[in-house]
Amino acid sequence: MVLVSAAREYVNRMLQDISGMKVLILDSQTVSIVSVVYSQSELLQKEVFLVELVDSISKSKESMSHLKAVYFLRPTLENIQHLRRQLANPRFGESHLFFSNMLKDTQIHILADSDEQEVVQQVQEYYADFVAIDPYHFTLNIPSNHMYMLPAVVDPPGLQQLCDRIVDGISAVFLALKRRPVIRYQRTSDVAKRIAQETSKLMYQQESGLFDFRRTEMSPLLLIVDRRDDPVTPLLNQWTYQAMVHELVGIHDNKVDLSSTGKLPKDQQEVVLSSEQDAFFKANMYENFGDIGMSIKRMVDDFQQVAKSNQNIQTIEDMAKFVDSYPEYRKMHGNVSKHVTLVTEMSKIVEERKLMLVSEREQDLACNGGQVAAFEAVTNLLSNESVSDIDRLRLVMLYALRYEKESPVQLMQLFNKLASRSPKYKTGLVQFLLKQAGVDKRTGDLYGNRDLLNIARNMARGLKGVENVYTQHQPLLFQTMESIIKGRLRDVDYPFVGNHFQQGRPQDVVIFVVGGTTYEESRSVALQNAINSGIRFILGGSVVLNSKRFLKDLEEAQRIAKSSTNVV
Amino acid sequence: MVELAKAHAKALMPSFGDGKEDQLTIEGLTQEITGLLRKSEKQLKRLAAAGPSEDSNVRKNVQRSLATDLQNLSMELRKKQSTYLKRLRQQKEGQDGDDLEMNLNGGRSIIDDDNLDDMVFNEHQMTKLKKSEAITVEREREIQQVVESVNELAQIMKDLSVLVIDQGTIVDRIDYNIQNVATTVEEGLKQLQKADRTQKRGGMVMCATVLVIMCAVMLVLLILKTILF
Repeated sequence: MVLVSAAREYVNRMLQDISGMKVLILDSQTVSIVSVVYSQSELLQKEVFLVELVDSISKSKESMSHLKAVYFLRPTLENIQHLRRQLANPRFGESHLFFSNMLKDTQIHILADSDEQEVVQQVQEYYADFVAIDPYHFTLNIPSNHMYMLPAVVDPPGLQQLCDRIVDGISAVFLALKRRPVIRYQRTSDVAKRIAQETSKLMYQQESGLFDFRRTEMSPLLLIVDRRDDPVTPLLNQWTYQAMVHELVGIHDNKVDLSSTGKLPKDQQEVVLSSEQDAFFKANMYENFGDIGMSIKRMVDDFQQVAKSNQNIQTIEDMAKFVDSYPEYRKMHGNVSKHVTLVTEMSKIVEERKLMLVSEREQDLACNGGQVAAFEAVTNLLSNESVSDIDRLRLVMLYALRYEKESPVQLMQLFNKLASRSPKYKTGLVQFLLKQAGVDKRTGDLYGNRDLLNIARNMARGLKGVENVYTQHQPLLFQTMESIIKGRLRDVDYPFVGNHFQQGRPQDVVIFVVGGTTYEESRSVALQNAINSGIRFILGGSVVLNSKRFLKDLEEAQRIAKSSTNVV
Repeated sequence: MVELAKAHAKALMPSFGDGKEDQLTIEGLTQEITGLLRKSEKQLKRLAAAGPSEDSNVRKNVQRSLATDLQNLSMELRKKQSTYLKRLRQQKEGQDGDDLEMNLNGGRSIIDDDNLDDMVFNEHQMTKLKKSEAITVEREREIQQVVESVNELAQIMKDLSVLVIDQGTIVDRIDYNIQNVATTVEEGLKQLQKADRTQKRGGMVMCATVLVIMCAVMLVLLILKTILF
């Protein structure tokens, strides 16, 4: 809630003091940032009658001096160049410049120099440099995400770019929250350490004035972890509504693109899934697939009743009532068709890829023991013709991650079988994954089999049986959050940066996952916050992963690693 | 709108008089407001039809925001009218009921008294009935008028609802609109280029060039002929 409202507040402040007709100029990143928190109709209410991208605007030549230009951009080199050109030949009456992060002095000088006609009325920094997709979940949509898997020597500028963007995003979050945190990072990850140190330097040394907020009792905690500590969660197939849609179809900035999945009516090809605007979605986004079916059926029944009463128009009074309730009726109709379409598409995909079968095996691999049984089951599924290539790859990866050390012979057999079965499989991807996120590289107790207490807990759970086989997996993040709540996050595994220290439990925790978050983890965070244990968690990542994206990042990283070793 | 609300309230207050002027003011105000709404709608439509241009997007967006405002206003007006209507109906029934009751009571008490006065009191009853009939007829007429204006507004609302954006749908997303603008502008450019090419390649240009060349040739021949002769 707090991130969404902070971003909205910034946009409001940008628009409210400027009277008259306005044009809002954004760059490709700030478009995402603004679109998830502000709607077109709200912009229209604030008299913003045109929205353009800063790079496309230079191609047009018509001057619209009756409009006032409101620029909201990230302070990057290209944007400053675009601005220079546009300030030199202004198309609009006035210009108000807003930046989503801190401007360097040199950049301000450049802008001032190119403003010959003095159209710039104000320059401000509004720190909305993150995409607030859910109340407790933000992302940064970084395209070069895969760089985090490579050591620094491979591509130093690329990795620097990634780290800079992450540091910018995290500092914007804390500036929006108006707090300065204590920083901890995952010991085994170099990227996490680097980002933690750079963030600390920024907040405590370089810009300490800017971050010097009123100190409350307990500083908030910023915990930076690495995706590779829990590679299992992005590989699993999901069965709760929001996570499932992202896994099977793909959600980007709260939009779902259904145009590739068969013929659909035009207004259903791209739909919006936002918990802020859709009450049904807000109530059901964390429910599992079976329960969603029931809720949708109830919604359709309600809608049918309303539709029936609308058809029964006899008197003028009825007509008047119908026209009164027509806008709501239309909205309900749109909403119902949207959810029905989504669930239909997902059921189709589940049926095609035999996901019930595959996912059961995946959950077993992730949660329960028994190497021999697992090996047999995976081999069977590999031989099954109707299982798709990507699912086979995921099964072998999950098996490899768990039984890496037990029986290497059988592991080799699985690799060979996979290579022979799936022609598109890039050889060595599983091995690459093991090199990145194998048992030696992981800090956390991913399978709950490191210390006695966890083993005992697992056995008890096995005896008790689970409610739903398909949703038994808990992401590692859940355990991390529990340790923080109990105040028992180990210093050995998650050290503090520099000389930071914190006694006791923080009240606000921001967990940033380098490499991307998943909707399963954001669900975990939201459910944890709902329990109201006195600590509020916010989750953020460089992207939002599903299995396709995670595998793509792996492939990209592998390709770059291979080409760099060839060069060396 | 505020004036209309006040007029409604005044008319609804139980009064001893006929209340004709109140009705007239209400009618007048309602018609005025409906007229204004319809005029705004026409102007809105004109805004759209003013041809494509660079700031057609601006136009479209202005249209949308004004349409939303108009729709809200007309919904408000309709709500006020329907409540007025309802209360009017209640009052009418109440009045009729009262009249009838009065008649019955009057009738009973008088019958008890004197049988000689029967005729006189029957007449009394008749006049009372006629009066209440007249009132009923008038009320019905008023209700009919209000209903008419309600229908007019309904029509306007339906027209407007096509323009207004549904909140929460994909059309309400800023990034979707930007994408669409880019694609439509590109499409337009492609069409223009194609048209340009077809025109250049067109038969007309060929014919014209051929004719010009032939004219030049003929001219040269003419000059040669005069020189030779």
